[in-house]
Amino acid sequence: MFWNIYSKRVLYSLRSRDILIWTWIFPVMLATLFFATMSSIDESGQLSEISLGIVDNMSFREDPYLYSTLESIEGDNDDKLFTLTIIDNVPEADRILTDGVVDGYILFQPDPKLIVVEDGLNQTIIRSVLEHYQHTKNAVNDMLLMNNGDYEIVSSALQNINYTEEISLAGNPPTDKVNYYYALLAMICMYGSFQGLTSVTLLQANLSPLGARTTMSPVKRFKMILFDLFGGITVHFCCTLFSVAYIIFVLKINFGNKLWLVLLTCFIGCLLGVSFGSVISVMSKLKEQAKIAILICVSMVCSFLSGLMVTGINYTVMQEAPLVAWLNPAARITDAFYCLYYYDSYDRYLINIGIILIMVVVMFAITSVFIRRQRYESI
Amino acid sequence: MIEVKGLTKRYGDLVALDQFDLTVSEGEIFGLLGPNGSGKTTAINCMLSLLKYSTGEINLFGEPMKSESYHLKRRIGVVMQNVAVFNELTVFENIDYFCGLYVPAKSERRLLVEEAIEFTGLADFRKFLPKKLSGGLLRRLNIACGIAHKPELIFMDEPTVAVDPQSRNHILEGIRELNRNGSTIIYTSHYMEEVEQLCSRIMIMDKGKAVAVGTKEELKAMIREGEKLTIDIYDLPIFVLDDIKKLDGLFQVNYSDYRLTARCTISGHHLISILDILRKANVDFGHIFTEPPTLNDVFLEITGKELKD
Ligand SMILES: Nc1ncnc2c1ncn2[C@@H]1O[C@H](COP(=O)(O)OP(=O)(O)OP(=O)(O)O)[C@@H](O)[C@H]1O
Ligand SMILES: [Mg+2]
Repeated sequence: MFWNIYSKRVLYSLRSRDILIWTWIFPVMLATLFFATMSSIDESGQLSEISLGIVDNMSFREDPYLYSTLESIEGDNDDKLFTLTIIDNVPEADRILTDGVVDGYILFQPDPKLIVVEDGLNQTIIRSVLEHYQHTKNAVNDMLLMNNGDYEIVSSALQNINYTEEISLAGNPPTDKVNYYYALLAMICMYGSFQGLTSVTLLQANLSPLGARTTMSPVKRFKMILFDLFGGITVHFCCTLFSVAYIIFVLKINFGNKLWLVLLTCFIGCLLGVSFGSVISVMSKLKEQAKIAILICVSMVCSFLSGLMVTGINYTVMQEAPLVAWLNPAARITDAFYCLYYYDSYDRYLINIGIILIMVVVMFAITSVFIRRQRYESI
Repeated sequence: MIEVKGLTKRYGDLVALDQFDLTVSEGEIFGLLGPNGSGKTTAINCMLSLLKYSTGEINLFGEPMKSESYHLKRRIGVVMQNVAVFNELTVFENIDYFCGLYVPAKSERRLLVEEAIEFTGLADFRKFLPKKLSGGLLRRLNIACGIAHKPELIFMDEPTVAVDPQSRNHILEGIRELNRNGSTIIYTSHYMEEVEQLCSRIMIMDKGKAVAVGTKEELKAMIREGEKLTIDIYDLPIFVLDDIKKLDGLFQVNYSDYRLTARCTISGHHLISILDILRKANVDFGHIFTEPPTLNDVFLEITGKELKD
């Protein structure tokens, strides 16, 4: 029973033209397009230079260590990470910040605080340097207290700290480029909605003659939809793997060193896409083509808001409308990939995966409630 | 086997079935005959529990039919009016899929699928995708998918639309065969010849109501009309026509296009009387033909309109 439904469903989706175009060909084309436009970005340097302002006040002068720390990681002229500007006062700092001359500035009051107008990769880097500095400073103070002010021991302990290495958090080189591909992978996962849509359309009596026919079969509805969705998920996961392979092996994009987790995330993303499609499909009586149009639009908007075309838009959405950002399925998938690439710790990754799994469960639950209804006012 | 009582189904304001009753016993081939929109499909979909209905009671195999009656569904085969096959699966795969929903055992299924392919004459097309099949072949595939598992009760909703006469006969013969092997069949159609040939009992429907039920002989006996006469006459004087019109047992007497037509009641020797009059008046006549009453005549008499489209 399982094999009959499952295998026919797999065959069906491998031969369906809509599914072929939208889930196999379109993503690969998009990836190639990204690659073509972005190879020029790549040549101009992996990471844009961060320009940072520091407001010159009393507290700043009392704590010269931060400045020297920043100076030490400023980098040499060829591959500069930071440009530092000393600013005389706060109004002046605000002015050049809004003008976009600096990515942010540091104000000592008396602890150093980062002031930014937008949040992006550069700001994240500054913030993490700043946090690291603060931690080290606190640690140094503690050590000094413990060692009765024996400066020698403390300074030798500090010798080993190398800031530039700490910035590339998970050991992967920081690059904007990979974010586009993460958003693209999220989009591909969301396109699993095609499979969800197909399953529901083929099974619901009021959506297609086939639905009416399968409703008359002696297989319990829940089993029917489950087996059918398994088939859809399998095919879509293969299709995602195909895109990932293309991006890694043909376009030579480096997804970092946690590839197995990237693939696991893809799988969970596929579940999300498929359940999303099935829930949209089960809840309305629109024509199949209309639903496909809706799914494409929604997937595209979600992926756009998670940084598909404009990098950094995900940060802006998170700032301006955090709820939208948290509930945007594509943004959660993108962020999960991002965490794998940039962070060593799994906290934020697990939060993302948790949210995705909750969405999946809720959407499958809604689908199965609707699909169990088998009698209609009209078909 | 099937018992429907007082079934009423509305689509909004439109009453598609109005206090509809139906009883089908085991072993019958039961025909539902009616013009487009008379409610045949609606009746079938209600019996299959695909449609909600306002009032009424439906029992299949002596049990109330509900949408969760999976054990009843196992014994039922359906051939829907709208072709329901996967366009991306081949003929063989389609039949195998639907048969597999009823028969999990692979070896058993293989035999059944082969039989269904044989039965519908699709052997040359087993690797074809449905979009490469002609309309008639597609219908045959639709039938094969519905009956491959050898159900006890089969619902067929206009299965032979667009099938050519030769394959239609093949299919009708197959349906008789299914019936001989123990299946009870409910068959809808608006081809009355087909229903007349095939069905042991017939229900004529109009506007959601059963207007007549019975064997074809019983139905024909319900109306006063017997044969329909047609005589080719080159020149028929008015007074002779008037004489003919005065004959007992004749009605709808008409002369136009060199052709005399009349309908007559079941009893009496009407043709001989007419020929007598013609001979006495020295009127030459050519071809003579008579037609027995058809279900169309029955329908016409009961509802006052033609069944044919
Ligand atoms: N989904 C629907 N919504 C509204 N009205 C409907 C619907 N389906 C059928 N009807 C109406 O119900 C009536 C009965 O339709 P039904 O399809 O049962 O007729 P039928 O006898 O099967 O006709 P046909 O020979 O054309 O198949 C018709 O008047 C039709 O217009
Ligand atoms: Mg119909």
